[in-house]
Formats: sequence, C-alpha cells, structure tokens
Amino acid sequence: MTQKGFYFDSTRCMGCRTCETACKDYYDTEVDTNYRKVYDCEGGSCDVNEDDTVENLAYCYHMSLGCNHCEDPACTKACPTGAIHRDEEAGLVLIDDGKCIGCGYCEMACPYNAPKVDKEKGHSVKCSGCYERLQEGKEPICVSACPLRALQFGDIDELEREYSDSEVGNIAPLPDKDLTHPSLLVKVCPDAKPAGDMSVRVSNPLEVI
Amino acid sequence: MGMELGMTELPLALFSTLVPMGAGAFLMLAAAFFVKRFDAEALKKVDRMTVIPIVFVVVGFICAFFHLANPMNAFNVFANVGSSPMSNEIVMGLVFCVVAIVYWIVALAGKLASEGARKGFSAVVAVVGLLFCVFVGLAYGMDTIPSWNNAMVPLSTLFFGVLGGSAVGMAVFYQAGVYDAADKQLAKVALVVSWVGVIGSVAFFALNMGTASGLANNMMYGSDVVSAMMPWIVTAVIVMVLAGVALMFEIQKKRATFYTWIVVVVTFVGILLARLSFYGVEFSAGLGI
Repeated sequence: MTQKGFYFDSTRCMGCRTCETACKDYYDTEVDTNYRKVYDCEGGSCDVNEDDTVENLAYCYHMSLGCNHCEDPACTKACPTGAIHRDEEAGLVLIDDGKCIGCGYCEMACPYNAPKVDKEKGHSVKCSGCYERLQEGKEPICVSACPLRALQFGDIDELEREYSDSEVGNIAPLPDKDLTHPSLLVKVCPDAKPAGDMSVRVSNPLEVI
Repeated sequence: MGMELGMTELPLALFSTLVPMGAGAFLMLAAAFFVKRFDAEALKKVDRMTVIPIVFVVVGFICAFFHLANPMNAFNVFANVGSSPMSNEIVMGLVFCVVAIVYWIVALAGKLASEGARKGFSAVVAVVGLLFCVFVGLAYGMDTIPSWNNAMVPLSTLFFGVLGGSAVGMAVFYQAGVYDAADKQLAKVALVVSWVGVIGSVAFFALNMGTASGLANNMMYGSDVVSAMMPWIVTAVIVMVLAGVALMFEIQKKRATFYTWIVVVVTFVGILLARLSFYGVEFSAGLGI
C-alpha cells in the first residue's frame, strides 16, 4: 500500500470549520478534543500614508490540519510502547489502543499538534485518516464535509501528480517539513507565507491548543 | 502557559525530582567511603539507612505512574528501547535499581567488609546513579521540542542529582548517627560535592531557561513563555542556593537530626520548582507551546 495523505487548497479554504465540526461530530469527541483543527493565520499591517491614503497589507488565511501521517513521524520515535506506529499496509500513522500507556510523549513530540491523551479513554487519540471509512471505500469525513472542496485525501503520489501546483507542507504556521516529512500537500494562497516565517501569527491559539 | 502548564506535569516533576535525589545520594556515600574509614558498627548503621535513597527512587517511580492515562499497559514501555528516549530512561532506571538494591543487600549481609570491595561497589552504584540522572534529562531529547532538546537538560538533571543526593546522603549519615563534623577530610569532600551540585544545578537550569526564551514559533514567543515562568524560575534558583547554604551549615557543624531533614525538604522544593519551570517552558518547533 502506498503512503496516504491529505491535499489542502488554501486558496479555497474560508475557515468555516465544517471539516473540524464534521470530524468532531462523527467521532463524538470531548469538548476539548478535536482531531482536525483550523488555524487562523494573520499578519501584515494597515497603515495611513502621508497623503492620507490607507495602505492595507493585512492578510488572513486558514490552515485546516489533522494528522499528516508523516513519513518520519516524531510521535512514533518518541512513543515508548510502539502503540503509535506507521501502518505500512494502510499507509497511515495509527494508534494501537491496547498498547498505549497514555504518557503523552506523542502529544509533546508532534509539531502538528495532532495526538492528544484522552484520560477518560486511557490512551492517545488522533486523526486516523478515517481508517474505518477507507476500508468501506469512503473518503475521510472532513474531505466529504468541506463545502469548498479544499480538502482531498488519497495516495500521496497520486495527489502529487494531480495537484502539481502544490508543495509539501511549506506554509506558515507549519514547521520545517524536514522535521517529520509530512504527507501533506498544500496549494498556497497568494497571501500565505512559507513555513518558518514568524511574521505570521496564529490568532486562535486558545481554540486549537 | 506558565505554571499552569508546569503543574499539568506534576507527577513527572515529582519523579524527576525524587529520582535524582535518591540516585545521586550514592555519590555522597561513595565519596565518604573513599575518604573515611568507618568502623564495622558505623558501616552497619549506614547500610541500614541506605534504605532512604532507595525509598526516594521507589516513590519517584510511583509518582511517574500517576502521569500515565493507562498504567496497566506500563510493561509495554520497553518496546521502543533505542528509539524512544522514555524507554531508554526506564531501562537505565531499572539497571540502576538492580545495581543499587544488590549493593544494599550485599552490604546489609556484611559482605562488603573489605575496604576495596566497599569502595569499588559503591563507586559503581554512584556512577550508574549519575548516569540514570543524565537519562532522566535525555528523556526529553526530542528534536521537535527545541526548549528541551539541548545538552543543558541532561546536565541539569545530573547536577540536580549531585545537589539532591548531597542532601539525602547527609541525611543517611545523620540518621545513622555516624556523621562527625570534626572529620575535616569528610567535611571537605561533602562540601565540594554539595556545592558542585548547587553551582551545576543553577548554571545549567538558568542556561536552559535562557535558551528557551530565545525561541519562537507562529503561536508563541519563548520570551513570553519564560516571562510567565520567571517568578518560579527565580524562586527555584534562590531555594537551590539556600539549600546549598543549609547543607554547608550541616556539614561544617554537627546539627540535630531533624535539621538534616529540613535541608532535604528545602532541596526538594528547590529542585521541584526547577523541574516544574522546565515543564512550563515546553516549546514546540511547530504548532504548540
């Protein structure tokens, strides 16, 4: 099985949170647990020039993010039990609930803020790429729910061929892609800044942490 | 952000405080055996009280269990030895526990009567104990958390072991009733060990916090995170220095036994505050704080 991944079109996304809400509803997660999150990214300025004209260089774009099912995941390297692992057959990073001790190392290590320890369930939880739905021949619920068709899912090689104008995870606020090699292709909107540009600030940290 | 984040990791902070204090105590014991010839009766008393550092380590491990969402699966932690820094830490911890307990049993059984055997075995336990302290810090070496992934972290846990171990080691001698402040050689070594602990702890802890303050991601600035922790960072430094001063008084002049336990408590508070500050400055290379 080839590596699975997401494609995200930031020129289409309007930050409506339908992906996030559909996922939350489908998996019936707790109030403070989201497998997919939308990051509002802001920057720029709005200045009054000497001739009293207003120059608006402020920008805002959105980044919808679940688990990126990385090729070199930080979470699997940190996990002491091997519970969070790369399932080569599925092409996904999955969690074996029966092995997990809920130590939170995956949560600490992931630079995409994807896994989270669910104390009630007694193990870590995260986006599985809707593994069960894939088995039924369906697409992930977030992809189905997006009203603007900003999300796609599939074999990462095929997505790369289909969306040749996309880049692997090179958009702020994502970290340097070389850290984990995420299976995430992004079509970057004109206002977006590349990964590592700290002038972009996430304006909804309390919502996503 | 701030101490709220640190407090979420209280069980781990207790683990990484108590374990170095217990493991580091064997350095003080070994150092004493190297510079002072205890008579057989005194050695018997010291060996009985060697249960104190072992209890510190055991209680530390018990605290760590409260950090887990599912302790029933705890035996799986050995699955990722080599890759997971946490697996490596636990294996090193077990090696230390086995070596320390074997030493303790052999000593209690009176099998370490020869000076060479006593010095050699206690030195091995001390070295393994200090290595364990280093592994406690290495457990946070994840390249996606730059505030933790640096040499200052294992060095600070190593020196927390030296400082905390000095306090616990002195408690062993006091509780055994064998400490003699008039023995200048022993007092000198104890003083050197404890102040190496204080200086190393403060220096590497402060350097670690300084490094964290220079970091940034798209969600947070390290300077904001460290500023929020600053009152606790400063208090931790002050309390660790106070612990060193209190240890100095205890080493230079024989005090009441309860005084030595006050020193242990002060040392514990100083290291615990430093560890809580450490967890409070968890800073992701990507999305997170």
